[in-house]
Amino acid sequence: MRRLLWIPWRWWRRAAQLVLLVAFVWLFRRTEYSGAEQLPGGENILFRLDPLAAAAAMLAGRQVIALFWPALVMVGLTLVLGRFFCGWVCPLGTLLDYFHRLLRPITRRTNALLRPRLAAAAAAPLRGTRYFLLIAVLLAAGLAFPLVGLVDPFSLLVRGLTFALDPLLCRAANAYFAWSGSGWVATVLQPFAKKHLLPFRPMVFYLTEVSAAILVVIFLLELAARRFWCRWLCPAGALFGLLARRSLVKHLPVRVCKACGQCVELCRMDALDPAAGLSPHACTLCMECVDHCPKGIVQFGIKRKAKSRPRPVDLSRRGVLTGIAAGVAIPGAAVAVRLGHESPVPPHLIRPPGAGDEKTFLSLCIRCGECMKVCPTNVLQPAIFEAGLAGMFSPRLVPRLLFEQSNCEYTCTLCSQVCPTGAIPRLTEELKHHHPSGKSYFDHNRCLPWAKQTPCIRCEEMCPTPEKAIKILNTFKIKQDGEEVEIQQPFVDRELCVGCGICESNCTIEGVAGIRVQRVDAPDPGTEFLLKGANKAAGQARPPAADGRAAPAGAKGGSF
Amino acid sequence: MDRREFLEQVAAWSAGACVATPVFNVSSIVAAEGKPQGASLLAVAKGKDYAALVEQVMKPLGGMAAFVKKDDRVVVKPNIGWDRTPEQAANTHPDVVKTVVQQCLDAGAKRVLVFDRTVNDARRCYVKSGIQAAVESIGDSRAQCVFQDQSKFVPVQIENAKSLKEFHFYQDALATECDCYINVPIAKHHCLSKLTIGLKNAMGVIGGNRGEIHKGIHQRIADLNLVIRPKLTIVDATRILLRNGPTGGNLADVKVLDTLIASADPVAADAYATTLFGMKPEELGSTVAAAKLGLGEMDLSKVKILNA
Repeated sequence: MRRLLWIPWRWWRRAAQLVLLVAFVWLFRRTEYSGAEQLPGGENILFRLDPLAAAAAMLAGRQVIALFWPALVMVGLTLVLGRFFCGWVCPLGTLLDYFHRLLRPITRRTNALLRPRLAAAAAAPLRGTRYFLLIAVLLAAGLAFPLVGLVDPFSLLVRGLTFALDPLLCRAANAYFAWSGSGWVATVLQPFAKKHLLPFRPMVFYLTEVSAAILVVIFLLELAARRFWCRWLCPAGALFGLLARRSLVKHLPVRVCKACGQCVELCRMDALDPAAGLSPHACTLCMECVDHCPKGIVQFGIKRKAKSRPRPVDLSRRGVLTGIAAGVAIPGAAVAVRLGHESPVPPHLIRPPGAGDEKTFLSLCIRCGECMKVCPTNVLQPAIFEAGLAGMFSPRLVPRLLFEQSNCEYTCTLCSQVCPTGAIPRLTEELKHHHPSGKSYFDHNRCLPWAKQTPCIRCEEMCPTPEKAIKILNTFKIKQDGEEVEIQQPFVDRELCVGCGICESNCTIEGVAGIRVQRVDAPDPGTEFLLKGANKAAGQARPPAADGRAAPAGAKGGSF
Repeated sequence: MDRREFLEQVAAWSAGACVATPVFNVSSIVAAEGKPQGASLLAVAKGKDYAALVEQVMKPLGGMAAFVKKDDRVVVKPNIGWDRTPEQAANTHPDVVKTVVQQCLDAGAKRVLVFDRTVNDARRCYVKSGIQAAVESIGDSRAQCVFQDQSKFVPVQIENAKSLKEFHFYQDALATECDCYINVPIAKHHCLSKLTIGLKNAMGVIGGNRGEIHKGIHQRIADLNLVIRPKLTIVDATRILLRNGPTGGNLADVKVLDTLIASADPVAADAYATTLFGMKPEELGSTVAAAKLGLGEMDLSKVKILNA
């Protein structure tokens, strides 16, 4: 069938790309708190369609993740249709196509200049790269070392958009609205944009520049060759390609016609080669060859008895071995230099609520950035090196990033709703409170009532648990100038604390807060644990001795 | 353009850009009006229907028309600080806010803005408190429940202040932008300041580091009220929070009183509301400090209390 309903196939493909890109942007925009505790759902669908993320997360996490059922559907479709995902669905592919088209006057020249040189200089290594990445990622995942987030195309795309483009757009728009001020911009455009196009407020993220740079490089590679990333680098594309090798729907005729060579010229994926034949693992069914064949003989269809075998995958034995070696060597090397998560977990590396032990969490997390995108307070930030090299871009709570704003909201469960792998398990409000993200402790050298006998207890004011997890002890203290003052000194009830970090975020002292949140599994650095068991009989009416000094004789019992 | 010319222009433009940075000083415009004249009036009303209760409590004070003039730009400032539901008594009751806004509109207000600087995420607070929906349900474009615009916090010199000489305030709440500021706080327990009622509600229209206020909280709250001068304070004591305030969250800590207090005197309103907790007005440091600054009357024997 050379046309469908008299419309050339490439127009169908372009329509699908546009519709799915709009859907992607719409879902991306919807990944935000909008007044309901439950998101409508489907925000993370792109990641759940991704068989590479599915395979890597399941391998690394050593479990079957039911959330990934859409990836199984994609595998089935790919076995039938071929690598259509890359040509028809992938938002990164679509954006690359648009970018290439937009800069066609430039890309045409640079491609003509660079393509032949690339082909001459690095054809074999380039062809093998995506398989090399695929093998390395899957093998590392098998060794419970998560690398998929560093190369998965959707993780790279969503992170780049979330960490860099979205805040940039929001700031630029706000600046424009502030500058233009009046007229139809203020009355029509601004309300519409704020409601439908822009995030609620510009977010701030670590690793913005890195995330942006990766995406920029992927786009700039278009200057060298069309769909450079998809053709040679994308490991998800490589996996789709392997699945597509014996797909039912084929480019027909199976032998590449040698009459004019136009289809070979047009192919953006190097899938057609008059000498070597057709490569179903490369073809993304863009349909350009069908629509442009002057003889009208090219089409896609099912041919049961194909005589010629498909061209073998561009994978040399050396390539496979290198991939295997890298897959084993990267985790090994990282562990060896203690960059991996084998090293002790830093106490202030706080994970989102419900995230299990550090190792399981890191294995399941594919660094997609969805949780950080949806977090209404911006408290979730990508780890840089805190969690080791393998933990880069994984989410962590940073309560002091934005003063007075960045805390985990007591009743919010949005991050658990968008996590595509279950690294942050689906939480209800009640379940969340039973899985605290951390526990607070006071630094008695910095907390004002403890260190300076100065009234404060802002942390207690903010504490959201129905019975305050920060309790107050009314004591008499002698200040440095000899004056005796009655002062409210706060301490943490670890049983009640949920580790939301609102105390740390709102602590009135600047710099490092006087109260901090640390991991639940980290040893309690407060003084209370020193007295564990010793003081139980007296209840907690007796003030915990601060800074090694006993409370003065006049100390009163706590009033809580 | 040669190099010299280019450099000269760069220097000129950069200098211009630096000099043009706006400097706000609205202190002269927000000059204190001083203590309200004559004996302070204070109305108290009880009832289950909170919409009717607002009407009831305003009647002895001459109704809303005594405060809101035609074409006034009005700010109604409830407490929307927390991601809590109305029955948890952390935010002002939405029915009270809605009726107050409605009455301002009926009195001919040109514009009624409702906002607060929230502690939890603003969107969550506006939704969970029910206040956003309540204001929107009026269906009048003059009344708007808006999120604060971060660029609108301006520095203000506080004249006569004892502790806080300068702070950032929200522009729309200042006398330059607002003809009638109506404070609609909820009365709650608060460990550091003992209670949070009307005077402390000014925390919702200030910018900068609010933690600064906590260092000497009583005087600093009073100082803030030298700038924010509500023409009317309506204390929402329909339900009050007795413990674990100001956040609450436990219904056992909530006491339903079905009471509203209204007064043009912010100090008297706080002083009376304090008695609902079984405390004396002078136990609240901020009330004492505000009375000393001449912001109102805290001696309830000198206040004319009208039971509506």
